Amino acid sequence: MVASLVDLLLASAGRDSGKAALRRRQATWTYGDLVRGAAAAAVRLRAAGLEPGDRVGLLFRNCPEYVAFFYGALAARLAVVPLNVQERASVLAAQVAHGGARLLVGDPDHPEWVALKAALPADIVTLDVTAVDDDASVATFMQAVGAASGQVLASPAVARDDMAVLLYTSGTTGRPKGVMLSHGNLVANNVTIIDYLQLGPDDVGLTVMPFHFSYGNSVLHTHLGAGATLLLEDNLAYPMVVMQRLQNERVTGFSGVPSTFAILMSRTRIEDFDLGSMRYLTQAGGAMTRAAIQRMRQLVPSARFFVMYGQTEATARLTYLPPERLDEKLGSIGKALAGVDIEVRGPRGEVLPPGQTGELCARGPNIMLGYWRDEEATREAVVEGWLHTGDLAHTDEDGFLYIDGRLVEMIKVGSFRVSPLEVEEVLATLPGIAEMAVASMPDELLGQAVKAVLVLREGASLDERAVKAHCRARLAAYKVPKVVEFARELPRTSSGKIQRFKLS
Amino acid sequence: MSDSLRDRIQKFILENYLFTSDQSALGLDDSLLGRGIVDSTGMLEIIMFIEEQLGVTVKDEDMVPENLDSVSRIAAFVESRRKVA
Repeated sequence: MVASLVDLLLASAGRDSGKAALRRRQATWTYGDLVRGAAAAAVRLRAAGLEPGDRVGLLFRNCPEYVAFFYGALAARLAVVPLNVQERASVLAAQVAHGGARLLVGDPDHPEWVALKAALPADIVTLDVTAVDDDASVATFMQAVGAASGQVLASPAVARDDMAVLLYTSGTTGRPKGVMLSHGNLVANNVTIIDYLQLGPDDVGLTVMPFHFSYGNSVLHTHLGAGATLLLEDNLAYPMVVMQRLQNERVTGFSGVPSTFAILMSRTRIEDFDLGSMRYLTQAGGAMTRAAIQRMRQLVPSARFFVMYGQTEATARLTYLPPERLDEKLGSIGKALAGVDIEVRGPRGEVLPPGQTGELCARGPNIMLGYWRDEEATREAVVEGWLHTGDLAHTDEDGFLYIDGRLVEMIKVGSFRVSPLEVEEVLATLPGIAEMAVASMPDELLGQAVKAVLVLREGASLDERAVKAHCRARLAAYKVPKVVEFARELPRTSSGKIQRFKLS
Repeated sequence: MSDSLRDRIQKFILENYLFTSDQSALGLDDSLLGRGIVDSTGMLEIIMFIEEQLGVTVKDEDMVPENLDSVSRIAAFVESRRKVA
């Protein structure tokens, strides 16, 4: 029986242990390497005194070493807390503390590693594991974790509802919001996605999305579960490098958010590359314009284009639009995945007829256990098994879903959600500000960017650079306001509520 | 290599990504991505800076870490392109 992602990995390794599972630069890990690495990591984690149910934090860019620890932790019945490599030490330390991680494994080359270790409480143990990009990667890792012969990766005796991953996501307030995903959640979503993408051992995927992000997490585990090969990149800073890999390594599948495709289309000439091996493209993480979808399809005609929708709270996916219905239903996010129920509900909880906009609610085996140590937020988000997504949607006469907006104000910078309140809380620690508001502004590539409007106290002086520097020292780069404006007052409703939309 | 070109590039990155004029905050050979100084969009902005402020066209094939991942590398890339021109 498939109880956890470890079983899926073991099945893939059992089919062909010599097959390449992960490739980053010159480092290649076969399925056999990954199983041995995970077995050694599990032993190492237990030797550190961790017991089933404990949490272990991982701070790595996209690399095989992260994956070995991820599966090792699951095999040791621990829950993984994947940390955002773009965050600053103070935020990371808060997440580690909030998650109650007893051990943090990280790459000492990470720019925040030293500061993070200094910021952690003394009782949290850290383990340095350097990610290596060349052919010494596997051997270096085995040595670092003290791998020994006879170590076996065993299927963990876990229950479906045991927590496997604690994924931190942007909450609507500045406080950490950890989404608890169970072994059952991960397996259910993984198996369904593998099925509708028809992923198999012949596939070669390439990911640029970080593993701490639910979409990146899903791309990783679906490929491993299917016995495919996954090529690892961290970002799109060098779009040409990504395009060359897609062509030269005969990649069959590529996943992105709208800004991923926007960057590739604007900074490379996709038509100059031979992408004839591309079998599918997937897009999630916010609405992509119809024109951009059509352009991508023209540029990569061999690929089936999957529009998908989901949330971290639903492990990753809730719906997809079958590519053969794309022309007919362009603009739709499709229908619920197999095993998932979706309803569009009105303000009193009633199910709305086609054409009427309400909140998209979902039920299924992929819905999170809840928010870590936040019962109130969990009670609001999951009611009688139904996840209230906060997304506004309607259906058409054929039952296809369309997103109309969000109930809660969030700024979507590329694939990342930014809570205006989180940025405002950081700004509030600057002296000299009487009041402020953070809102979205249109951004050509990323869809939206963060904008701050400040009202200074009389006599106070503060310039744009000082404000940005203050934010950058405390927030990930994508959360730092791109524009800081100074105003005499903020637009308000008659009841005194700030009207953020007027600032955009 | 001209110091003023390196200074200009360093100043641009300091002001726009580290929000300081303290030169010690950014070594000339520091990896811009490795140190988390810029992300994907920051790199695209640096390319716009090279094209618009330094007058050098960055072709698609030029967008590789060897040309762009540190102040020194950007300066060397810009100089080499200027010589060709």
